[in-house]
Amino acid sequence: MSYLIAGMAAHDDEPDCDLQDETGEDTPGLRKIIHVDMDAFFASVEQRDNPDLRGRPVAVGGSSGRGVVAAASYEAREFGVKSAMPSVTAKRLCPDLVFCKSRFDVYREVSGQIRDVFRYHTDLVEPLSLDEAFLDVTEDRHGIGSATNIAQVIRRQIRETTQLTASAGVSYNKFLAKLASDQNKPDGLCVIRPGEGASFVAGLPIRRFHGVGPRAEEKMNRLGIATGADLVAKDIAFLRANFGSFADYLYRAARGIDLRPVRSNRIRKSVGGERTFHDDISSGPLLRETLHNIVDIVWERIERAEAKGRTVTLKVKYNDFQISSHARTLSSVVADKAQFTAIGLGLLEEMLPLPRPIRLMGMTLSKLEGVPKKKVRHDDPQLSLL
Amino acid sequence: MKATIERATLLRCLSHVQSVVERRNTIPILSNVLIDAAETGSLKVMATDLDLQVVENMSAASVDTPGAITVSAHLLFDIARKLPDGSQVSLDAADGRMTVKAGRSRFSLPTLPRDDFPMIVEGDLPTKFELPAKTLAELIDRTRFAISTEETRYYLNGIFLHVSDEDRPLLKAAATDGHRLARFTLDRPDGADGMPDVIVPRKAVAELRKLLEESLDGHVQIDLSASKIRFTLGGEGGVVLTSKLIDGTFPDYSRVIPTGNDKLLRLDPRSFYEAVDRVATIATEKTRAVKMGLDKDKVTLSVTSPDNGTAAEELAAEYGADNLEIGFNANYLKDILSQIDSDNVELHLADAGAPTLIRKDDKASALYVLMPMRV
Repeated sequence: MSYLIAGMAAHDDEPDCDLQDETGEDTPGLRKIIHVDMDAFFASVEQRDNPDLRGRPVAVGGSSGRGVVAAASYEAREFGVKSAMPSVTAKRLCPDLVFCKSRFDVYREVSGQIRDVFRYHTDLVEPLSLDEAFLDVTEDRHGIGSATNIAQVIRRQIRETTQLTASAGVSYNKFLAKLASDQNKPDGLCVIRPGEGASFVAGLPIRRFHGVGPRAEEKMNRLGIATGADLVAKDIAFLRANFGSFADYLYRAARGIDLRPVRSNRIRKSVGGERTFHDDISSGPLLRETLHNIVDIVWERIERAEAKGRTVTLKVKYNDFQISSHARTLSSVVADKAQFTAIGLGLLEEMLPLPRPIRLMGMTLSKLEGVPKKKVRHDDPQLSLL
Repeated sequence: MKATIERATLLRCLSHVQSVVERRNTIPILSNVLIDAAETGSLKVMATDLDLQVVENMSAASVDTPGAITVSAHLLFDIARKLPDGSQVSLDAADGRMTVKAGRSRFSLPTLPRDDFPMIVEGDLPTKFELPAKTLAELIDRTRFAISTEETRYYLNGIFLHVSDEDRPLLKAAATDGHRLARFTLDRPDGADGMPDVIVPRKAVAELRKLLEESLDGHVQIDLSASKIRFTLGGEGGVVLTSKLIDGTFPDYSRVIPTGNDKLLRLDPRSFYEAVDRVATIATEKTRAVKMGLDKDKVTLSVTSPDNGTAAEELAAEYGADNLEIGFNANYLKDILSQIDSDNVELHLADAGAPTLIRKDDKASALYVLMPMRV
């Protein structure tokens, strides 16, 4: 396996920036990567905090006309309920489905707790969302012995601190670790050892490959590609001819190769939020009122992120799903909520009169300057009682 | 449904229930109140956030058509608020709208059917006892300021109620945020024996305290199980507040209450409060610590801020132990001192890194523990 990786890196000449900055100079051997993914995260948090929901099909998200399911419990998944499914569809599939309003404050808190668990083991943590992350544990900071053991310790620590279960995948790269974590869900662990990657991938339906959606799947089926093995049989020229820039990724993925390093320093580029309405909006006063509501939501996020930015963007989606956005960039950072609101209202005036009613409005602050890291609390002078 | 009601009655009732309704709701019906008009001429109003529900009965001037409907809580409240005093409000629900009429004003509001309105299933509530409203209000006042707002330790987001047998049967209430602790003790009311330990969530505490304010002379009936609690308040028609309890284990707080603190400081809580407040003027968010220097019968309060300079004040006190310097969060100290309703407060100290016990005297129902700050 290590031969293949070395070989790939040697003749890799494509301008993918992911590859540019991972020459692997400090990792002569194989890396040890863990992908940790919380099981039905939002729904599990709701079931944890509300015993009445345990054992019942639960969906987090809006139950109304345009609501979508943000997360579904395993009980709900048995009925075919999936995340991103319109709530109406979900309710039809599972009439007993219980909808919970999302409580992102709580999810963020739990997310912070699991990240603390990750950081106990390594500083190389790449969060993908609130509930999943890649960890590079090649270093084995606490001498636990193996990546598999570290993954088990992490799962146990998560269970102890949050009363929630997580699944983990262990392998020598991110692509395989992510596939592995999905293998034995929920509350499972799967290890793909060096030498097993290619055969593991060979048996997989191509839909399981990260980045292969329904459209790509359809195209591959037309080309006679159904599994990883079918993909391996195609040469790089064929893939490039059919999939363009996607080809190199597919070529490597089919061989269980992924050279992307775990990136621990993701930098936030913008803070924003948007809302879809129950009913389309077109009247000026209502638009302004809606904008104020969105400012309330977004400014709270900006404050929480301690973000300072110079560009304010107002985005609307018309009832024909066409999106339009107006932006304004200041010479200095937006000072406060009042200024943010005023700029938003100004951008809204530019858009009036609206050609059609809108179904969604959103605001974003970008061109962020020096987003400070969250303050470390370990030097808190306030002593603790408990 | 069609009923007529006095504006003042409607407003009072809505003001009780509407604060339960969250401003932003992903489930539309949770923005609504349920209005149920009975043939008997009484009108039931109900609001919920799925964890907490409040039901109030009021008497209508007339009920023409019994029935029930739900309508936006905040809209109806704002309308009732703006209607002229003394007006009669007619509520008439038909064909998915509710018409609200008073004098020459007329509103037509969208409604949602009552069958979709969620109710908390109370289940069996085996523990039943009664408390004077005044006592319950004091229990809340003395402890609620210490409730944690940090969601990670969700089991601290409420007031912990439990029974205990010491020299006599007791009911105890405690709240802590990990920096300070407040405990209130009372004689165990009849019926509370064998009560499960429960944690009443912060929002339920806040809503209950508001309701109590209007019926301080009465009694409150409390019914609870390990998962739900119900408070029934008297008054016209009566108000019933039902809340889910926090599903968690409150830490064994008794172990953080110091018993061997040998340095006793006695002083007047009001002048102490005012002095802390004065020197804290120059404190900032980062340096909110006030330093206390204890000498023979004297306390020196001081604050040093890198940005704002320094402040100091000397206070007369009763103190005979070894000299000590100790720091506290000024706001925490003020929170506790403002609860001491006497000319005297006792601080039992050990050292600058150990919990300090604060109380009016050894007979007081309320007891506070405060953890120092490093200064």
